[in-house]
Amino acid sequence: MAQEIFSQVNLPRVYRRRRLVNKIMLGLTALTLILALIPLVWIIVYVLIKGGRHINLDFFIHLPQPMGTTGGGILHAIEGSLVMVILASVFSIPPALLAAFYLTTHDSTPLASAIRFSTDLLAGVPSIIVGLFGYAIIVLAQKHYSALAGGVVLGMIMLPVVIRSAEEMLKLVPPDLRAGSLALGAPEWKTAIRVVLPAAAEGIITGIMLGVARATGETAPLLFTALGNDNYEIGTMVKQGIAHNQSIFAILGRIFEQPADALPLTLWKYAQQPYPERVEQSWAVALVLMLFVLALNILARVWIARRRSALQ
Amino acid sequence: MVIDEMKSTINITATKKQFPYRKNLMAWLQHGDRIWSLLLWLSGLLVVILVVWIGWRLWIESAPSRAEFGWAFISPWAKASWNPALDKFQAWSSIYGSIVTAVIALFLAVPFSIGIAIFLAELSPAGLRVPLNYMVEMLAAIPSVVYGLWGIYVFLPTVVVPIGKFIAATAGQIPGLAIVAGGHMPVSGLSRLAAALILTIMITPTIAAVSRDVLLAIPNSQREASAALGATQWETIWKVLLPNGLSGILGAVILGFGRAIGETMAVTMVIGNTTGGGYSILKPGYTMASIIANEFAEAVSALHTSALVEIGIVLFFLTLILNAIARWLVWRVKKQVMGE
Amino acid sequence: MSIRKTTAILTGLIIAAILMAGCGSSQAATPENTAANGNAPVTLNGAGATFPLPVYTEWIQMYKSVQPDVTLNYQGIGSGGGQKAILDGTVDFAGSDSLLKEEQYRQMPDLQMLPIVAGAVVPIFNIDGVDSLALDGQTLVDIYMAKITKWNDPAIAALNPGISLPDEPIIVAHRSDGSGTTEIFTAFLGAVSQEWAETVGVGKAVEWLPDQIGQGVGGKGNPGVAQAVQSTPFSIGYVELAYAKSNNIPFADMVNAAGNRVTANADTMKDAMAAFADSFDDHLTTEIVNAPGENSWSLMGYTYLIIHMENTDCDKTAALLDYIRWAISDDAAAQKAADLGYATLPDAVRNLVMDKLHEVTCDGKPVL
Repeated sequence: MAQEIFSQVNLPRVYRRRRLVNKIMLGLTALTLILALIPLVWIIVYVLIKGGRHINLDFFIHLPQPMGTTGGGILHAIEGSLVMVILASVFSIPPALLAAFYLTTHDSTPLASAIRFSTDLLAGVPSIIVGLFGYAIIVLAQKHYSALAGGVVLGMIMLPVVIRSAEEMLKLVPPDLRAGSLALGAPEWKTAIRVVLPAAAEGIITGIMLGVARATGETAPLLFTALGNDNYEIGTMVKQGIAHNQSIFAILGRIFEQPADALPLTLWKYAQQPYPERVEQSWAVALVLMLFVLALNILARVWIARRRSALQ
Repeated sequence: MVIDEMKSTINITATKKQFPYRKNLMAWLQHGDRIWSLLLWLSGLLVVILVVWIGWRLWIESAPSRAEFGWAFISPWAKASWNPALDKFQAWSSIYGSIVTAVIALFLAVPFSIGIAIFLAELSPAGLRVPLNYMVEMLAAIPSVVYGLWGIYVFLPTVVVPIGKFIAATAGQIPGLAIVAGGHMPVSGLSRLAAALILTIMITPTIAAVSRDVLLAIPNSQREASAALGATQWETIWKVLLPNGLSGILGAVILGFGRAIGETMAVTMVIGNTTGGGYSILKPGYTMASIIANEFAEAVSALHTSALVEIGIVLFFLTLILNAIARWLVWRVKKQVMGE
Repeated sequence: MSIRKTTAILTGLIIAAILMAGCGSSQAATPENTAANGNAPVTLNGAGATFPLPVYTEWIQMYKSVQPDVTLNYQGIGSGGGQKAILDGTVDFAGSDSLLKEEQYRQMPDLQMLPIVAGAVVPIFNIDGVDSLALDGQTLVDIYMAKITKWNDPAIAALNPGISLPDEPIIVAHRSDGSGTTEIFTAFLGAVSQEWAETVGVGKAVEWLPDQIGQGVGGKGNPGVAQAVQSTPFSIGYVELAYAKSNNIPFADMVNAAGNRVTANADTMKDAMAAFADSFDDHLTTEIVNAPGENSWSLMGYTYLIIHMENTDCDKTAALLDYIRWAISDDAAAQKAADLGYATLPDAVRNLVMDKLHEVTCDGKPVL
């Protein structure tokens, strides 16, 4: 309303100039956003179209064919990614939650500041460096590349993501809940696990989802740890294990201790191939990977947003 | 804290009542709380240890290379050479590649990111804000290899090559600029320029998201005061909000720089992977991260391995310092805002 | 309540997984565990050269039906990568077409290189409208030393009368990783040119002079170079013949040491190999570049598997030796290799390898 009144008055020149500058600059900010979203739309649409052509059931349930021949799928990469991300979650979630509990209960101790600082630093360490580290401490020590080593380095990538979001979510839990539980005589750990954690569970799970999304998309740390494996197939390993009366631990050991492939690793290898079939398949791998990562991200963010607004 | 005092009282009464040894042990453990706090403490410490451990391990592993080449290894003035056949290594070419690609990416990404942050924090209609936020975050979430794939087959031929040719024809002809922008643009587009442009797209959402948070942290009283003085919205943004959030935004920019320096896969796929190549951005090169990605798995000689680890340590400390500065800046602006 | 249930399930899963991971890895760490079960399923992990990668992936696929209980995994990370992996002890066998150096044998004395197949390195190129080209050793040296930088250089034109070559800079593709293919290639260039041998050198990775003038481009593995040349107009590169053949990338003829223009095919390869039939040294290795024969292809090399002569995991060793024996003696395997453009071992060489296989021991006892 105020603007309408102003516009009817014959404003001095300087005011008109200021209004013009205002409009232009505000328009420019909108333009930057539109320009920035072009690559997003471009990538998504392109990957959908190129990759969509090669998506079919066979692609998900078969191992790759020798190079230069048609057909074959990415079962090895799907299973490898799955195993390594599960391992990464196992290695990173418990310590991350415990560290987040430490941060919320010992808010301003020197160690808390050190943890927060290190978490930020760890999040900023290039993932290729984490891979170098994983090679030095696991692959060289164990004398073989393995899904386990891949899981550990991916866990190190997930760790800071989960700590940060878990801390934020734990802080949102009303202090009265904790006080009430302690007042009833429950020990701290029981309060944490049975009262505080469930209250923050939804938020923490979303944080874990973000961590999983991040870990699933990482290639660089896997180059020197998981290496790759065209014949990584859990079904066969289990079948062979059963046929030879192996214990469940021996079978699991074989699954964890073998080099493994992952979706981004496969994509990286396929993208640099001269064989047209492989390049075509790399688009399909990109599609699978991208949809998975983006879906996890969107789901997690919608969930967090809903939770925040519920609490406020 | 009151709660903790209450707790210990409760525990004391519990010990007095119950005598059996097991209960005593439990009481000594404060019903498991001692173990619990030990666990918390250890887990917290783990993160700190990891960072120190990474740095220490890299330092140890790079010893042969540090001893052999000294500071000349990272010096811009030493004779550039990366020759695994003769076991001679000098890292300047890849350090230069990292710096030049990241700096160009920053120059391009900063105006965009700040524009986006302003739009998202100040202007966006309420209904659009959430989906737009999601889209910016999606841009940050797309895996690096997907950027690389799209880069090689789509972005390079359609965008990078024309831009490169344009630069070669304009800036490349100016005598002073020819060193950094001269030469013939490779037809494939594989070049430092390609890496810089891909990085621009990749770091824009990071800088934008942090800057947006910084702007949102500035209290509304500032906006209202400015508006009451008759400032237009742009004047409020330009003269009040941006100066107020400056150190936070600077933090965001440095964070983006750290991201760009450490990015590996997408860069490796588009930069062309050569050592040497002079200083021109139109030529293929290497970054620190991409030379490690490409050569570490096959560095047979001990010196080659440790030279790559030494590049890793340069990269590690660089990102460490950048992140520390960025964190401090963002933290300072938030504290200022809270303090007011 | 559902939240609590979720948490409970999640915690349970995490604990279960920790237990599994812990037990799993401790179980797998003891080799006796698998050995105790008789012929338990065996996984053999190898990595290395991309030069033989096409035929290795085919063989591994075929071998699944020969020995269903043996799973082979071979990752093409380059010959340098293979050598590093076997020296670090992170693989069961390595592939390499670059020869181990004396210091590496000293570091790990029980390493043995076994020739498996031979292959040709061919110069591939991408020039619109040109699908046949002839080069000689010196021209190739000059291109890779950045002395010849344009396609219409008189030296190239002299070898290709009647072909109109463009006035465009030559984009020189090379390997960005440590490569046996590069070693074969540089060994040839070094044999042709004294200057190359002295200034650039021979090795798995060298300093490429075209990079200095910004006309070089690096590709990872044989596939990476083939892909780089495919997608870069006016480029030249070098790859194993199979990559050029199966992707229809044109490759140049070479003028050989005898002065004849030849193309890379089964005959010219066999001719080159014949010239070096009894040049194998104690390590069972030899170089076959710049062969003197009338009809010889100049850029050739054997590709090797590197194995340990003394082993402790007998199941794995037996499985590996079985596979190698199958690969070099099975007719279908040989046919597949020939189809892809590799040359199988001459009988004399095959016998040498077989003899060597019988000398491999596990816990001090011969395996075969």
